[in-house]
Amino acid sequence: MIQDLVVYVAYIVYAIAVLMTFGTLLTWVERKQSAVMQDRIGANRAYVRLPFTQIKLIWLGLFHGIADGLKLMTKEDWRPKTYDWYAYAVAPWVCFVPVLLVFAVIPFGGLMVPAKLFPSLAGFFGDRAYPMQIARLDAGILIVFAFGGMTIIGAMLAGWSSYNKFSMLGALRAGSQMISYELVMGLTVLGLILIYGTVDLTTIVQEQSGTLLGFLPAWGVFHQPFAATLFMAAAIAENKRIPFDLPEAESELISGFYTEYSAMKMGLFMFAEFIEIAIIGALFTTLFLGGCNLPYMSDAGFAFPGGSVLPMSHGAVVVTQLVVFLAKVMLICSFQILIRWSLPRFRYDQVLKFAWKFMFPLALMNLVVTAVLAWMATSP
Amino acid sequence: MEALLQNLDTLLVYVFGVAALVAGALMIVLRHPMQVAMALISAMVFLGGVYGLLGVHFIAAFQVLIYVGAVMVFMVYAIMLLDVRDKSYTQRFSRFLVLGIAGAVIFVGVLVYGFAHGQHASARASVSFGLQQFASAFLNEYWLHFELTSVLLVAAVVAAMAVIRGSKRHG
Repeated sequence: MIQDLVVYVAYIVYAIAVLMTFGTLLTWVERKQSAVMQDRIGANRAYVRLPFTQIKLIWLGLFHGIADGLKLMTKEDWRPKTYDWYAYAVAPWVCFVPVLLVFAVIPFGGLMVPAKLFPSLAGFFGDRAYPMQIARLDAGILIVFAFGGMTIIGAMLAGWSSYNKFSMLGALRAGSQMISYELVMGLTVLGLILIYGTVDLTTIVQEQSGTLLGFLPAWGVFHQPFAATLFMAAAIAENKRIPFDLPEAESELISGFYTEYSAMKMGLFMFAEFIEIAIIGALFTTLFLGGCNLPYMSDAGFAFPGGSVLPMSHGAVVVTQLVVFLAKVMLICSFQILIRWSLPRFRYDQVLKFAWKFMFPLALMNLVVTAVLAWMATSP
Repeated sequence: MEALLQNLDTLLVYVFGVAALVAGALMIVLRHPMQVAMALISAMVFLGGVYGLLGVHFIAAFQVLIYVGAVMVFMVYAIMLLDVRDKSYTQRFSRFLVLGIAGAVIFVGVLVYGFAHGQHASARASVSFGLQQFASAFLNEYWLHFELTSVLLVAAVVAAMAVIRGSKRHG
């Protein structure tokens, strides 16, 4: 009992630390990567001066994230004359908290046996084993969508309670856009659920350890390349980033649904957006890129297609899985930032048409083809 | 500490239950439609918490996914566009006050009667009711109900479209 508590508190601390780090780090990655893409130098002004010296640590502009945070924290928290200041105050949190909660069901590693990892604690932990996931629920991916849907309410509440027409328009856009793309996202994942026969994310990760056609790793992206593309596009639209950032299009709506927010309340919206990038990365990794495992790797070690097997010690597996998961997530985040700085913004009617007349039929078609193939594969 | 951990589930069920009740009461007492919607959303989320603690995680997920993620999102979307100066926001009671109280009394009476005379199902289901059982029951026994509901919903959508078209032509 106490042992469970210790392990899960450690998991929760790890998850929050990872998400906060990603949220802060991605602001820097966004600046620096866009600078590289546009042949600029990028953020390089913020520094920390060593006390009593003239040595300034710049470190490639890494401190800009801290400078941003300090600035947002110390700014005046200006409040509009709103008819419902409670809704106004609670809206950023409704946007922010569900994004964090989604991570609870995402497995960030395989099975961990604390007694094997720390032999000195074997007496305390016994032979307990824990999957590296905060909550292993049989609802799995459904929880992701349940919490994902709640952020829509946050955006609409923020726009409505701001008592500003720009905010209201932004909220309207956010609402209809997120509802549309949420549907597409759900449909693309259904094909994957059909193939793996489960919604449990840990099982989905384990299923991806094998091989496909004898040589490809059995990753979701090879099973469902089409769904992977659609999922990525829908996820970026769900996160309201360029090319789908119509709810906050600054040249039309100032800042859309969070125009009237200032200081750290506005920072929460931004932070939620950056953390959602990481969450999308984690989801994509889990569903399509084999989760925390390298190709051909499982909790026992490597099993290459040729038949050669490379067993690994438990400690090595746990460390590899943790690192590989973070590396994959970072890669996907970087890819999302690449898209954000490459494509121009849609027009608003195009965004909705794109969802309902292009992506939705494609996702349905993908699902039908997958269902037929899965049925042919299982029926004798 | 050990005892607390063992009874944590029960404690949390009570916390979520009370929170759901408070949210439900707020839903009736509050007057602004948006605040009412928020209270309803909180009630749904807390009920989801109760379901989750009873061990049926997917029912909890459906509760939040369908009621909050779909139904309430559309409600909030509609309420967002209402005129805030509407008279009904400042009025305490509607015309159906007596009728409503009578309905509430009958409802509570039935609940109390049922609770006093009926058989009590144990709160914690002994059989594990997982997603697999749910899916097979849903697709084998209840598929017709589900399909009929969808037909009803399509009819409602078409009717709504017709009403809008009609009012446009007259206006």
